[in-house]
Amino acid sequence: MLTLGGIRNAIWCVIAFGIVACAATPMPVEKLAVARSSIERAEQAQAAQFAQVELISARNKYAVAQAAADKNDAEVAARMADQADVDAQLAESTAKAKQQEQLATEMDAGLRDLRDETLRRDNSAAGAQPQ
Amino acid sequence: MQRTFVIAAITSALLGLAGCETAPESDAVLEQARQAVAQAEADPNVSKYAPAELDRARKLLINAEGAAREKGGKNEAAAHYAYLTTQMARIAGQRAQEQVALKRIKAGETEREKILLSAHQNEPDQARAAKLEGMQASQTSRGLVLTLDDVLFDTGTAQLKSGAQRSLDQIAAFLNENPERRVQIEGFTDSDGTNDYNIELSQSRADSVAMAIINRGIDAERVRALGYGEQFPVASNADAGSRQLNRRVEIILSNGGQVIPGRVVVGAT
Repeated sequence: MLTLGGIRNAIWCVIAFGIVACAATPMPVEKLAVARSSIERAEQAQAAQFAQVELISARNKYAVAQAAADKNDAEVAARMADQADVDAQLAESTAKAKQQEQLATEMDAGLRDLRDETLRRDNSAAGAQPQ
Repeated sequence: MQRTFVIAAITSALLGLAGCETAPESDAVLEQARQAVAQAEADPNVSKYAPAELDRARKLLINAEGAAREKGGKNEAAAHYAYLTTQMARIAGQRAQEQVALKRIKAGETEREKILLSAHQNEPDQARAAKLEGMQASQTSRGLVLTLDDVLFDTGTAQLKSGAQRSLDQIAAFLNENPERRVQIEGFTDSDGTNDYNIELSQSRADSVAMAIINRGIDAERVRALGYGEQFPVASNADAGSRQLNRRVEIILSNGGQVIPGRVVVGAT
């Protein structure tokens, strides 16, 4: 097969040229920047630890988007940038949710201990008082 | 413009021909997107805590459906938007989950404060007793007991010396901070002198402490004064030192709002 991909790429080129002819479509610089900053936010939210799969997906797609942009493939660059962006957002929100849930669970355990301790102290105080 | 349109039309025709093999995949992705949105919509926490994300997911789904209709079962745009939809619906779910966890943490913090506060009120009052510094404070079943020794009174009189003012200020402040607590003042003497005289002296000393507390703005309802005379000695009365220990006023601060029981006088006249 002189490959569908090849035909498709040729067609994209035609489209790209057609569009360029009307109005120059710049590379999706903005989308790439958005994706980049979403990835950074995810990294800051410790996604590497809590949402590894999503973060890796975001990084890979960002790399693809950049490569596409380097080859002047605006269409693929834009799509991959958008997908990298949502992957990164999912990585960030997943990491945050997991961390907060961990904290909530710890809080519950702490409360349980505190209640037990208070109960124990009250009991021992009540037992000790009436001499 | 027209030329672009024509090219696009040809393109989609070609893509349509070329893309049969990937059609099921595109459908599957779209179906997945629908389910992701439906799942997010079914979760009340999502519409409560992540309505913006849910809205975005819905709009992306419309785009995906539109792209799919426009170009038939298979095309990259539809798959792309479907993917974005699914991810956005998941983001909505995660954001909602985060908020739910935050709510739990907040509720937990409130709960912890409540427990600590009530534990603080029920505990042997070490922290509070520390505020009543300079006085011997001990926790008993009747309440927190403070002892003022007789150096605060002139011999044989019920007149409080100025040295007692600070202690009384602290007690009044403590009662102000703990409006549910009551205070009972009990006067005691040593065994010198007659029983009647000692009871009267101890009662008037207790009364003057009670008055001093009431004068500091504490409701008289919360204050009770009792004189026990030489009853309930804390030392032997055999020597001056132990007699001095017996000459005292005890101030009992109730645990909570309970009424403090009086002492049972054994062998009373």
